[in-house]
Amino acid sequence: MNGVRQGWLVARREMRERSRSRAFLISLALMAVIVAAMLVVPALLSSGGGTRNIGLAGSAPPALAATIAGQAEAAGITARVHHYANLADGEQAVRQGRADVLVAGAQRLEWPGRADQQLKAVVTGAIQLVTVRERAAAAGISPGAAASLLAPVPVTSIELGHVAGRSPADETAVTVMTLVLFFCISIFGSMVLTGVLEEKASRVVEVLLARIPARALLAGKIAGIGLLGLAQIGVTALAALVAVAAVPSIHLPAVRGAVLAWAVVWFVLGYALYATVYGALGSLGSRVEDAQSVAGPVMVILPVAYFASFVMIAQPASAAARAISYFPLTAPMAMPGRIAMGAAAWWEPVAAAIFTLATTAALVLLAGRLYTSAILHTGPRLSLKDAWHTTTGPGPGATGAGAHATQTWPRTARAATGGRTTMTRTDLSSHRLLITILTGAGIALGIAIAVLTSDVILGVIAGAGFIAVALQMVRLWTGHPGPPAVHN
Amino acid sequence: MTLGTFSSARSLLILAARAVIFGFLAVPPSDGKGGVRSMLDFDAATKRFGSLTALDRCTFTARPGRLTGFLGPNGAGKTTAMRAVFGLVELDAGTVRWHGVPVSAKERARFGYMPEERGLYPRMRVRDQLVYLGRLCGRGPRDVARSVDAWLERLGLAARGADRLDALSHGNQQRVQLIAALVGEPDLLVLDEPFSGLDPIAMDAMTGLLAELAFGGATVLFSSHQLDLVQDLCEDVVIIEHGRIVLAGELAELRAKVPQRIVDIRYRGQAPDWSEIAAVTLIEDQGGRARLRVGHDTDAAALLGTVRARAEIVSFAYQPPTLSELFRQAVAA
Repeated sequence: MNGVRQGWLVARREMRERSRSRAFLISLALMAVIVAAMLVVPALLSSGGGTRNIGLAGSAPPALAATIAGQAEAAGITARVHHYANLADGEQAVRQGRADVLVAGAQRLEWPGRADQQLKAVVTGAIQLVTVRERAAAAGISPGAAASLLAPVPVTSIELGHVAGRSPADETAVTVMTLVLFFCISIFGSMVLTGVLEEKASRVVEVLLARIPARALLAGKIAGIGLLGLAQIGVTALAALVAVAAVPSIHLPAVRGAVLAWAVVWFVLGYALYATVYGALGSLGSRVEDAQSVAGPVMVILPVAYFASFVMIAQPASAAARAISYFPLTAPMAMPGRIAMGAAAWWEPVAAAIFTLATTAALVLLAGRLYTSAILHTGPRLSLKDAWHTTTGPGPGATGAGAHATQTWPRTARAATGGRTTMTRTDLSSHRLLITILTGAGIALGIAIAVLTSDVILGVIAGAGFIAVALQMVRLWTGHPGPPAVHN
Repeated sequence: MTLGTFSSARSLLILAARAVIFGFLAVPPSDGKGGVRSMLDFDAATKRFGSLTALDRCTFTARPGRLTGFLGPNGAGKTTAMRAVFGLVELDAGTVRWHGVPVSAKERARFGYMPEERGLYPRMRVRDQLVYLGRLCGRGPRDVARSVDAWLERLGLAARGADRLDALSHGNQQRVQLIAALVGEPDLLVLDEPFSGLDPIAMDAMTGLLAELAFGGATVLFSSHQLDLVQDLCEDVVIIEHGRIVLAGELAELRAKVPQRIVDIRYRGQAPDWSEIAAVTLIEDQGGRARLRVGHDTDAAALLGTVRARAEIVSFAYQPPTLSELFRQAVAA
């Protein structure tokens, strides 16, 4: 029985068990409903907004009501004009929402709150038109001459957005897509993390590893959760499509099929990359409660990568955007945006995908090693250093020895230390120099990036991100801090 | 003329009980091969964790068709040795062989393992879980389902197959854990403390099952701290201490090889003065029951005559040292 078949069995179990759980079914239904609602509700609201109620009170030119209706129609609004006997009645109607605006004596507009600019333009235009016509008639200008004088000059407006050839609607679509990618990678990645921890906590992992290699178990788990994630995304997309088909007034920014296909590809790549890291880090903990502390580095990197990608949506051709769309940790969220904004040549996503794949392959090897050596460890959270050294064979040095003993030797070690399992923990303070150097490097990196890209925000993100990740790594590597877990 | 040895009588009883059990219950997952099953060899297996040597050139053999008891104080290296069979611990030196071939994934597909720290998926249904574990051994779905159902039936869990594991009682969870080890229909069964946490009834069921599996030709290696039980159950024992094998072989032979014999006497009335009897060392006299140590060449009949002259004897047993005594000697050495 080869590892691929065993991995597939693991993946199938993940999909089967998870898809049976009530939590999964509820979240699936909820996602579909929320996405459909997000599309349908604004569309229904805005279609109802096409009719406006305009109140008239006090003295007004007789042609005003008809002119308002005409002007409104030209602007794509259906206007209903109501006449009120006096100002108080009109104001009452506005306050109660029966009228959107009250025209008082053709001189003053009274709004329920802030003025609606479009409606204001329509009504003011109508008042001016009527007034000018009256004045023209008074000045003896014939109605025909007045009409030709007042013939409207067509002025259209377009929304430029930040990028040539792309509208702000496209930008919105890309923003949403990047956010969805970030959420999907985070959610399904952390499912791998808790899955690994659950297997360790329930001790089933020893039964499993007696039958299949650790990498088949990890790969199967990642594949199973990933496929289930794709299915969930598919169902949600289907709900969106149904909503679009059912409600014709939904406006979708023109999203091309190729962009969506790339988005799915990048979800798979990004998920594979981060899930591998999540899985390896998960093996360092012993219980589900350890998830927060072992996943520290990823929980910093992912939001930073998302934020960098988000900031770069508006300038997809810049050097910084180019850089983060190639860098494997940020590419899964940055590259789809550049593709959608039309800023990437055809070969760029291909090259970035290859980089990401290569990084994932390297991470799989690293993660496999960590996972194999850490997965059978129980008790206090394992430090990255100990997990790394365990498979390098005996004699990594005297400091490591005690920790290795606890790996599979809890009883002796406990006896030797007077009844308490203790890990070799190097106090963080002894790493003060290292931390200082890393912080300095982070600040330098931030300044360098800020100067090179002339973008202060990007510099701050890069610098802060680097420092945060470096400190998390030091913490994981040394196994400090965090109270030792009381176990058994 | 011996009055019968208490311990061997108990063994005979157990053997008879086993024979009866076999008569009624055939081993459900019949292997179908029935051919020669092979032995497990530890060859100078060595494992170090930093400065601690967990296994120190361990060499011993577990043979097919027999129960091998793996004994040792806590932390002696039993679990590490068992994990090494499954590649859960990578040896620094030496090998573990099955049928003369170093153990690899291919061989492990025919092994069953019950780790000391029990655990399965708590929220997974019992039957699904067992089928999954069986399929990980590389067997086909129908084949696995058949053997899972047979085992559930056999251990009285047929009605619980659709329940989540955590809905079962502790005892039933232990049974499921045992099936998890057996579902691949292993030729080699490695059980780490299979008797810990079992009530006497469950313990009897477990001993019956292990004996039956060995009878069916499987190689069974298990660790335990219950030495009396191991003495009654096992043909072979291996004793490990500080990672070193201090005693290994056929239990009867090991016991016979010891140059001492233990005489266990129950008597009525006044305790005789044991020191008057030549070549006898008193181990203990609780009043009514005394245990003596004598040389292995002592004439039991003559000794019985000597004792009879001084006390009213209820029972008299002359036997080699028990496994517990062997164990204490071996570990103390």
